[in-house]
Amino acid sequence: MNEQELKALEVNKSVDARGTACPGPLLEAKKAIGTIKSGDIMEVLSADEGTRVDIPKWCTKQGHEYLGTVEESGFFKIYMKKN
Amino acid sequence: MVIGLSSGSVDKLVGTGVIMSGAAADDMDVEVYVLLTAARAFIKGNEDLTDSLVEYPHLKSEFFANMEKLAVPTWLEFFEQAKEFTDVKIYICSLAGKLWGGEKKEDFIDIVDGLCGIGQYIDAAKEADIHINI
Repeated sequence: MNEQELKALEVNKSVDARGTACPGPLLEAKKAIGTIKSGDIMEVLSADEGTRVDIPKWCTKQGHEYLGTVEESGFFKIYMKKN
Repeated sequence: MVIGLSSGSVDKLVGTGVIMSGAAADDMDVEVYVLLTAARAFIKGNEDLTDSLVEYPHLKSEFFANMEKLAVPTWLEFFEQAKEFTDVKIYICSLAGKLWGGEKKEDFIDIVDGLCGIGQYIDAAKEADIHINI
């Protein structure tokens, strides 16, 4: 998905993990995805560069769909769809 | 994943916790075998000790200051968190326990699952997909 499509997504769950360093955002994502339904969209906000790589890989390994990442000022938003 | 943890240096304990957290995020089972100096940190009452940063003692104050600044969990918090997410077992080598005055499971903090002999560690390492020695 391109940036415009990602920004237009209706998000079911937003996880603000900007206060934590690796592996905090990954664990927060794991915790939060257990609280949403299959097909729901979740975004994870992080300022940790390692997370930018880890969460997309984790999504694939866990069978969820990684939708893309949007760069914001000083942080980024990672979008995923729960399978 | 099997981890052989011999170092009781706080940075190594934190590093082990970070690796365990990554494994937990992937739903990997983890077994930690606590050997030698590492066992000291697992004795009841020792979990908050910060007197050990063996390899780089000159970096100790910088390490702890930056840990606090970045709100990094303590090593124990990492271990507890990993246990919440996946099946983590922590075994203390019986010799290592004795070195620091711990002979029974009750002598160690609650996250410890039991004591073990070196044979159990070797068998687990032989069977594991990933084996890390710290």
